[in-house]
Amino acid sequence: MTVIVSARRRIRWTSWILGSGSVLAAAAFAWPFFVAAVPADAQVAVPIVAFALIPALIVALTLTLDREMYTAKTVALLGVLAAVGAAVRIAGAGMGGVEAVFVLLILAGRVYGARFGFLLGLLTIAVSSLLWGGFGPWTPFQMFACGWVGAGAGLLPHWPKATPTAPRTQPASTAQAPSQPAYGEPTQRWHLPRLNAQSRLTTGTRWRGSLEIVLLAVYGVVSSYLFGLMMNLWFWPFAVGSGTGISYTAGADAGQNLASFALYSLVTSTLTWDTVRAITTVVGISLVGPAVLAALRRARLGPR
Amino acid sequence: MFRLRLAPLLAAIVLAVGFVLLRVVYRVVFGGAGAGTGPVLLELPRLRLDGPFSHITLLGPITLVGLGNAALSALPVAAIIVFFGLLNAVINVQSLFARGAGRGPLRAISRSLVIAWATFPALLESVRHVRVARSLRGERSIASLLVPIFEQTIERALALAASMETRGFAATRVVTGVCEEPVVLRDVRLNFGAAPDKTGWHLDELNVTLKPGTLTVIVGATGSGKTSLLHSMSGLFQHFYDGVQTGTVNIGGADRASTPPRDTAGFVGLIAQNVRLGFTAETVHDEIGFALAVRNVTPSIVHARILQVAARLKIEHLVDRPIERLSAGEASLVAIAAAIVNHPILLLVDEPLADLDRAARDRVCTVLGQLAHEADVCVVIAEHNTKEFASIADAWLQIRGSQLHEVSAGEMQALSTAETLTPTPVAPRDFGTVPAVLLASIRRLSVRHRTSLVVDDVSFKVQAGELIALRGSNGAGKSSLLRAMALPTAADTVTVAGHDVHSLKRRTRRQAVALVPENFDDLLFAITVAEECRRANRTLAGADTAQTFAQLLGFDGVADAAHLLQRHPRDLSSGERLCLVIAIQLAARPALLLIDEPTRGLDLTSRALVSDALLKAASHSAAVIFATHDDDFARGLATRILRMEAGRLEVPIEVHS
Repeated sequence: MTVIVSARRRIRWTSWILGSGSVLAAAAFAWPFFVAAVPADAQVAVPIVAFALIPALIVALTLTLDREMYTAKTVALLGVLAAVGAAVRIAGAGMGGVEAVFVLLILAGRVYGARFGFLLGLLTIAVSSLLWGGFGPWTPFQMFACGWVGAGAGLLPHWPKATPTAPRTQPASTAQAPSQPAYGEPTQRWHLPRLNAQSRLTTGTRWRGSLEIVLLAVYGVVSSYLFGLMMNLWFWPFAVGSGTGISYTAGADAGQNLASFALYSLVTSTLTWDTVRAITTVVGISLVGPAVLAALRRARLGPR
Repeated sequence: MFRLRLAPLLAAIVLAVGFVLLRVVYRVVFGGAGAGTGPVLLELPRLRLDGPFSHITLLGPITLVGLGNAALSALPVAAIIVFFGLLNAVINVQSLFARGAGRGPLRAISRSLVIAWATFPALLESVRHVRVARSLRGERSIASLLVPIFEQTIERALALAASMETRGFAATRVVTGVCEEPVVLRDVRLNFGAAPDKTGWHLDELNVTLKPGTLTVIVGATGSGKTSLLHSMSGLFQHFYDGVQTGTVNIGGADRASTPPRDTAGFVGLIAQNVRLGFTAETVHDEIGFALAVRNVTPSIVHARILQVAARLKIEHLVDRPIERLSAGEASLVAIAAAIVNHPILLLVDEPLADLDRAARDRVCTVLGQLAHEADVCVVIAEHNTKEFASIADAWLQIRGSQLHEVSAGEMQALSTAETLTPTPVAPRDFGTVPAVLLASIRRLSVRHRTSLVVDDVSFKVQAGELIALRGSNGAGKSSLLRAMALPTAADTVTVAGHDVHSLKRRTRRQAVALVPENFDDLLFAITVAEECRRANRTLAGADTAQTFAQLLGFDGVADAAHLLQRHPRDLSSGERLCLVIAIQLAARPALLLIDEPTRGLDLTSRALVSDALLKAASHSAAVIFATHDDDFARGLATRILRMEAGRLEVPIEVHS
C-alpha cells in the first residue's frame, strides 16, 4: 500500500514540476514583453537569461520524466517514433518545408499521453538536428515548442466509451476512468472495437472514431498557428532588428509592441509557413490518422 | 568525437545569407531603409496604418546607406548562425549522447536516442520495400506508403522492447537463480484471458521439469502456442503480452507470475524469432555487451566478457562490425552471444532456423548443442524444422490441441519423415484438353543489383493454364526475377498476352501480371479486412475481393467469412493474411499471377490451405508462377518446375508426363 501512495505522491510532484516548468518556459519564450518590467540596467540581461533558462528547463523536465519513462516498452517506442519523426521532418525540409511531423506528435501524444508526447517532441527535434547538423541556440526553443504540441494532444478530453450495445467487457470501460493510478496519464488500455470478432463496428463507435479524428485535426490547426506564434515571439527582436515599424522597442508600451509583433508574425509565418503546416497536419491526420491510432493502440503502454 | 562534415556548414551559410536578406526586406517594407544622407535609390510612397497599428509606417524612401545599415545590423546574428554551423560540421554530437546511454540520470532518454539512431537504417530499408509493395498493388495514396512503414516501426519497437526487457533493462531487483532446477511447470494453464483477439487459445495441464545440461525441442503447428509456451518461461507471456497463467511456473527457483523478465536477466537468456528486430545497439560489440551495460558493469569488464563470449562462438572477427552489416547467420550467432553473455542457466530459443541456409543452420545447431551438453545450460527451442535437431535433442515436447505431450526421439523421426514424405494431396489436373496457348514470354531478362548480376539473361515461355514452380537456393535470384517480371525496367523483356508489360500503365499492368511479394504484409494498410477488400475492388469494375478471399480460405461464401472481414488485417494468421493479399492481387484479374515463397514459416495445415488457394488462384488467372525452396510443396503442386542457380535458369525439368 505504501508503495502505491509514494508512487502517487511522486506523480503529483512530477505534475507540479512539469506544470511550473512549462509556465517558466512560456515566460522565457515571451521575454520581449518582460523587458519593460525589469529595472533599466538589468534589461540587457533578459534575453541572455531567457536563452539560458530554456535549455536548463529541458534538462530539469527530462530529468523529472526520465525515471517514469524507464521501462523497456516506453524507451523502445520513444526511440523508434523519434526516428520516424526525425525522418519525416528531414524529408519535409526536402519537400520545401512541408512540416508533417505534427501528425506523428499529435497522434502519439493522444494515445500515449501528455508526458510521452512531450518527450517525443523533444527527442524528434533533437534527433533530426543531430542528423542534419542543425544544432544551435534555436534548438532548445524548437524542442520545447514541439514538446508542447505533443503534450497538448495528450491533454485533449477523452469522452466516456459507454456503449451499452457493444458487449465489450472490462478493458473498454475501465480504460477511460479519469483516476487511472500509478502512471499518471489516462493510459489507453482499451481494445479497439475491431479487435472484437463478435461485435461489428457499430455506427456509434465509427461515429466516435471520426469525432476523434475531427478533434485531433482541429487541435492540429490550433497548434500549428500557436507553434508559429511561439517561435516568432522569442526570435522577433533578432529577426527584425531595430529601426523598422515593426521593430521591438524596449521602452514602448506593451500595446504598441503587441501590435508590432502581431504584424510581424502575420507577414513572417502565419500567412505562409503556419498555414502550410496546418493544412499538412489536417490532411495527414485525416488520411493516416485512423490507421496510425490503431497501430499505436495495438502496442499499448501499460503501467509497470 | 570530431569529424568534418561540410553539409551543416553550407546549410548554415545559406541560412545566414537568407537571414541578412530577410532583414533588409523587413527594413524596406516597414519603412526603415531611408536612413542617412546618401542618394535616394527609390522613392516609395509612405503608407501609414491606423488603429492599433498607427505607429507603423510602410515603405518610404530607400537609400544605399539604409540598405547597408540593415545588412550590417544583421551580421552579428548571421555570424552566430555560421558559428554553430561550423560547430555542427566539426563536432559529432551524436557520439556524446551514445556515451550516456544506459547509465546516469538520463538513461531512459539517452537509450531512446541510441535506439532512434539505430532505427534509421531499418527505416530506410522499410521505405524501399513498401514503395515496391505499393506499386505492386497499384496504389498511390499516402496511406498505402505511410501505414505499412509505421506498422513495421511499431513491430520493431515491440521486438526491441521485448529484447531489452529480457536482457535486464530497467530491472529493479536482481534475482539469483538456482542452477539445479531451471524449469518447473506444475499444473499450469495458459490463456489470453478476455483479450478478444486471440479467441479461445489455451494450453492446459502443463507439467514439465527440465534439468540442466539438456536440450528440449517444442514442436507443434503454427498458432498452436509454441512461442507462448516458451515465453511463459521467459516471462514475456505473463508480463509483456498480457497472457494469463494459473498454476506454478518456477524458473531457476523464481516464481514467474511475480517475477518479470527484467529481474531474471542474470540467469535466463532469450533469442527471439527475428533477431534483427531486437538489436538495440549500433555495433556488434555493444549489442553483445548490452545485458552487462544495463547492469552498470564497469566498461573494462564488459569488454573482456564480450571478447570471451565472441571467442567461444568463434565470432571475434565480427565484434567491431556495424550491426546492419551482418548476414542472417551471423546475426543469429550475435544474438546467441548477446543472450549468453550473462552465463544463463536457461536459454530459450524461438525458431532459430527460420531464415537460415544450410551452412548457417548447422553452425547454429552445433552451438546450441554445445551450450547444452558442454556448458550445462538448459536449452529450450521452439521450432518446426525438426530434422536438424534430431542428433542433439534430449527430449521432444509436442503441442497437440491444448495439451503438451512428450514424444520419443523415434516417434519424432517417424513424424518428421511423415511430414516430409507426404506432400499435400493435389488432384492432378488434366491438361490434355487444353491446347497449348502462349500466354507470356520472358526474353533476355537481366537484373543488376549494384555491381552483381542477380538475374542473368533469363528467357522462358509460359503457356496458359500452367502452374510453375520456381526453385533454387537462397540468393539464386528467384525473388529478383519475379519482381523484374512484375515491374520490368526495360522494354520488350516481359510480354504477357501480347502486351509489353514495361509499356503498360499502372492499372493495366496489373491486369497483365500481378506479384504477391515475400513480405506480403507491406501491401496491407487499412484497418479492417473488409475495407482492404473494398479498396481492392476499385481496381476493376465487378471485382469482389471479399468473395475471392472467402473462396481461397475454403469458405462457401462471404457470409461464412464475415467474422474475418471485421478484423484488423494484421490480426489474421499468416496463412489467412497471405490469402487476403492473393485475393487483393487477383482483383485486377491478372493474366499471370506471381507468388514469392508462399509457404515460408507455415505449418502443414496452413500449407494445405495455401496450396489449395494457389490451385483456386490458377483458375482465376491464366497462369501462376510461384517461387519456393520447399521441394515437396513444389513437386505436389506444379505442372512444371524451373530451376534457378546463380541468376541463371537451368534446363527445365518436366514433371508431368
